Amino acid sequence: MKINLISEVLDKQLRDSKGRQAGRIDGIVLELRDGKPPRVAYAEVGPTTLLSRFSRRLARWYSRHDRKLGEGRGVAFRVPWSRLSPDGPGFTMDIDGESTPIFALEDWLRRHVVEHIPGGG
Amino acid sequence: MKKILEIGLGIVTSVGGFLEIGSITTAAQAGASFGFQLGWSIVLGTLCIAFLVEMSGRFSAVSKQTIPDAMRERFGANFFAVPLFVMLGVSLLVLAAEIGGVAVAVEMATGISFPIWALPVALLSWALLWKTTFSTIENGVSLLGLVTIAFAVGVVKLHPDYGAVARGFIPTLPSQDKSKYWFIAVSVLGASISPYLYYFYSSGAIEEKWDESYIGTNRAIAAIGMGFGGFLSIAVLILAAVLFHPRGISVEHYQQLPELLSGVFGRKGFWLVIASLAIACLGATLEIALSLAYLVAQGFGWNWGEDLAPRDDARFALTYTMLVLAGSLFALFHADPLKLTQLSMALTATSLPIGTFPFLILMNDTKYLGKHTNGHIGNAVVMFISVLSGVLGLVSIPLELIGGG
Repeated sequence: MKINLISEVLDKQLRDSKGRQAGRIDGIVLELRDGKPPRVAYAEVGPTTLLSRFSRRLARWYSRHDRKLGEGRGVAFRVPWSRLSPDGPGFTMDIDGESTPIFALEDWLRRHVVEHIPGGG
Repeated sequence: MKKILEIGLGIVTSVGGFLEIGSITTAAQAGASFGFQLGWSIVLGTLCIAFLVEMSGRFSAVSKQTIPDAMRERFGANFFAVPLFVMLGVSLLVLAAEIGGVAVAVEMATGISFPIWALPVALLSWALLWKTTFSTIENGVSLLGLVTIAFAVGVVKLHPDYGAVARGFIPTLPSQDKSKYWFIAVSVLGASISPYLYYFYSSGAIEEKWDESYIGTNRAIAAIGMGFGGFLSIAVLILAAVLFHPRGISVEHYQQLPELLSGVFGRKGFWLVIASLAIACLGATLEIALSLAYLVAQGFGWNWGEDLAPRDDARFALTYTMLVLAGSLFALFHADPLKLTQLSMALTATSLPIGTFPFLILMNDTKYLGKHTNGHIGNAVVMFISVLSGVLGLVSIPLELIGGG
């Protein structure tokens, strides 16, 4: 199967194994191999990769704050290419988003802000 | 039968939700300063928003995607950042003007100065967003918005010269106050063609799970709903043209607006204008806050949906919360709601091409729309009116700011 990485993968909606919207494919990582053509290794998800497409300095600044959200944050989350499959206009990964750092900011805001507001619990 | 009911409800909500602070104020200013002469700007603006709303509904019904969603994946994050930030900036000013509009309506009802009401209005808007569902907001507030039909009833009772009204639909050049004429024309266009309206509509089509069978329903709602909405704006223009223009009164303060109907209905007219202003602006506040939260959430791929509980889409819910709070700060710190409205409407018109051009590219892409891509007429109308708004805005805003003409 042939796939155009820029127009058919980059910036597409990503869903987790439970169908939740888990961000967008913010970056694509290729693996360079000796004597063989490059191979698509990972899709990257997370604000650090997204921001680095605009400014590396901005991405580094954000990364320092994002790290405080817990283990695995501060860097992009990498989804192995083998665990992704096309799903309508986007992609689905066969991983539960809760077991990754993808929802860390959403969870932090829910626990520390939303649940303390009447009607938010 | 279900479809007919849906068309009826859709038209009612479009009519009820059409008028807001921008369209009431700019139409009143147009009528007061230039009589019927600027009627054409409302016709052009209504035509353009009817086409845009039809396109956005068709886009979501066929592609099952919202506009920001498709815009990011089609053009990439770096391009998407431009319409995202322009729309956030301009629409935040419009949101501030709408919150100011509700606050001013309460001021006129109570006699207590509007800045006091900024935070209570923000709290009420936020509570409605936090606790209710998409259909409650869309149908509930828009049904109440039908009170704005009072403007049309007022026109019928006034017996204006309908021939003169019709002549205003043909664009003519002003004989004096050229910069003011074009600035008001641009503001009227901005008030009619609010981008938040078609972003909101596109997200609504996804929230209500539209599919291709809704294409006809969508077309009827867009054409009839927006058509009647534009008709109400024209009614405001006519009232101002008949009641203010001959006496040389220009609209400089919100406190003048109740005279639009008190001249026809007496004291009852005063309360009708206040109710219209309060309900229409509250409805627009909810729609803009939601629309911008949709834009951000869809652009970044977060979980979103007004029908979800806030704990299930925390980032989405906190985005509209922050926007409503930020929008209320303008009125809280005494920003003149009338000036804010004029400026935000003119900026909306000027920035129109930034959002509509990429949208037109999406609307002509068979990958999203298959056989339902745009026709030549739709493309030409939206392209022409967007360019006209952008150019008129770029020329007239600096002229108005330096007071030239």
